[in-house]
Amino acid sequence: MAANRSQGRYYTLFLVASIVLCAGLYDYSGGMGKLLLIVGAVGLVASLLGMMRIKPLEGRTALKPGPGFMKLVGAGVCALGWVITLFGLHMTSSMGGRLVLALVGISVSLFGIVVVLPAAFNKNAVWKA
Amino acid sequence: MRKIVRSSSICLCILTMALAMGASAWAQASAPAVSLTTKELAAAAAQAPTTADLAQGDPSGTKTGTATNIPVSNPKVGLTLADTANQVGQNQIAINFVWTLVTGFLVMFMQAGFAMVESGLCRVKNSNHTYMMNFVVYGCGLFAYWLLGFAIQMGGAAGVANLGGLQPLAVEHAISLFGKSWGLFGGTGYFLSGHTYDVGVMVIFLFEMVFMDTALTIVTGACAERWKFLAFAVSSFIMGAVTYPLYGNWAWGGGWLAQLGSNLHLGAGYADFAGSGVVHAVGGITALAVSMIVGPRIGKFNSDGTSNSIIGHDISAVMVGCFILAFGWFGFNPGSTLGASAAGNLRIGTIAVDTMLAGCTGTFGALLYMWMKNGKVDASMSGNGLLAGLVAITAPSGFVNTVGACIIGLIAGVLVCLSCSFVENFMKVDDPVGAVSVHGTCGLWGVLSVGLFADGTGMGSVRGLFYGDPSQLVAQLVGISTLIGFIFTFSFLVNLAIDVFVGQRVSVESEIGGLDLPEMGQLGYPEFVYRPEPEFMQHAEAKYGVTSSVFAS
Repeated sequence: MAANRSQGRYYTLFLVASIVLCAGLYDYSGGMGKLLLIVGAVGLVASLLGMMRIKPLEGRTALKPGPGFMKLVGAGVCALGWVITLFGLHMTSSMGGRLVLALVGISVSLFGIVVVLPAAFNKNAVWKA
Repeated sequence: MRKIVRSSSICLCILTMALAMGASAWAQASAPAVSLTTKELAAAAAQAPTTADLAQGDPSGTKTGTATNIPVSNPKVGLTLADTANQVGQNQIAINFVWTLVTGFLVMFMQAGFAMVESGLCRVKNSNHTYMMNFVVYGCGLFAYWLLGFAIQMGGAAGVANLGGLQPLAVEHAISLFGKSWGLFGGTGYFLSGHTYDVGVMVIFLFEMVFMDTALTIVTGACAERWKFLAFAVSSFIMGAVTYPLYGNWAWGGGWLAQLGSNLHLGAGYADFAGSGVVHAVGGITALAVSMIVGPRIGKFNSDGTSNSIIGHDISAVMVGCFILAFGWFGFNPGSTLGASAAGNLRIGTIAVDTMLAGCTGTFGALLYMWMKNGKVDASMSGNGLLAGLVAITAPSGFVNTVGACIIGLIAGVLVCLSCSFVENFMKVDDPVGAVSVHGTCGLWGVLSVGLFADGTGMGSVRGLFYGDPSQLVAQLVGISTLIGFIFTFSFLVNLAIDVFVGQRVSVESEIGGLDLPEMGQLGYPEFVYRPEPEFMQHAEAKYGVTSSVFAS
């Protein structure tokens, strides 16, 4: 299956729901704000579920499912590097210390991006078969 | 005797000159302060050319634009000093408005350059799809930014004197940590309504919006030739509404990265003049996250892990697109002063020259590297070298001198070649246009280079390590860590969720046959007879059982 009418309908719902959601945020403290927020959120979920329902019709893709847990670990390692950098700013007030901890944080994040995630995605890659 | 007369004459001349200069200086120092009176203003207005004079035409341009053109608040009183002063102030803001808007229009035109570069580097069977992604991303991003993104990014950005203060943008949500307040996201400007229905706010919206759209269009290049259009539309909308504005707020909207200087004494805080980090690295890093999820194109990698070159269909479009982008960059960097008239804004000349020099040395860096490595001048990598230099100078353009700009561009030109090879051969990520390397890697290098090469003479007196301030380098590293630690993770998780709900990848049949017909319903070049690539058909038949019959459909 390629692009089709159902996709167009669900994307239109997605956009309309986004408008309603943002209107709710804009008028959050007003009378209608919270109601609009809820209606928008429901619309967004409905559009995403609709897209999910028609997703199998797309047919086979050139991807094999990879280890999902490993992907999340890769993302976690990446985020950990950022946390190290942030805490480094408060752990020491010396410029050298902050510099070193920022570099450590960047290295940890890069390890997640360059090593862990590619390993997760390439483990069952189609091209390996 | 003659010598004595000559010496006396010279002494006399010097003495006369000294007396004359001294008298002049004394006269200047002791001259009474001249103040313009309302009577003199009225006289100036009376001497101005009449309507009858102007009706004769003004070929020399000396009659047009006089005191009579200054609006008068009270016609009975006539022109006053207050009227004149107000007009001077409005003229300054008007110059800045026009400057910011025109440079914003230049940045908007960069979308055409991106479309040509990306489509030219893709195969002809996907040209319509690639052009359409570049076309639609403009609308998706703009709409999302108007709804929500602008409020998140600039909702607390009041205080931009160049544009009249932007006082309606006064709500920044912050948290208090370790005794300091840290801005997280803005809270006013949804739909540009309420108090943000304001002339200055409209100008900053237009300028920031086209920057945001530049970031979004980077992703379409890295994921070209296999990204499902629906997933692209959802992903771009979310990026324009949330991902980009968050980092934009932290760096430019009064958020916590910009406060590193005042809160932790890290130089002038995170400094990113025109967006190597905010625009290009955010786009490049998101491109990496999405291209990992979308996976490589069929036939890109062999079973032993080696990669194949998949040649684009139109190198001429690529080169013209690169030139359009380089032209638009004169809006990107000099426009980021947000004005041409006020203290420090005349730096625009230096910024423009820095920009063109870095593009030049970036081209040389890539061109010479590829020439020495492969024995041939590589056109597409030369184009990428130009863009790499421009991306890298985007953050430091307001802070570095021309020598620094040349070095930054040259390093970026070589870096983009190394990075393209690394991303493809080590990480096994397929990036058809090199967007991850051009915008991601060189964007990060641009952010870092501020902490090294800023010479302290530019905007905000930012001074890097080579000019005596290591603390600025730490601020830049915190920004880099945020880009790869937070923005990458956030983009990755969002797009992983989109993959679950929507599915990021097109079907094998669509991919082999080309995305133009199944996704767009129309071929980009309908009069071309498409010839199936034999090497990819072998992959398709062996791994998916797809035959060349897909082309018949």
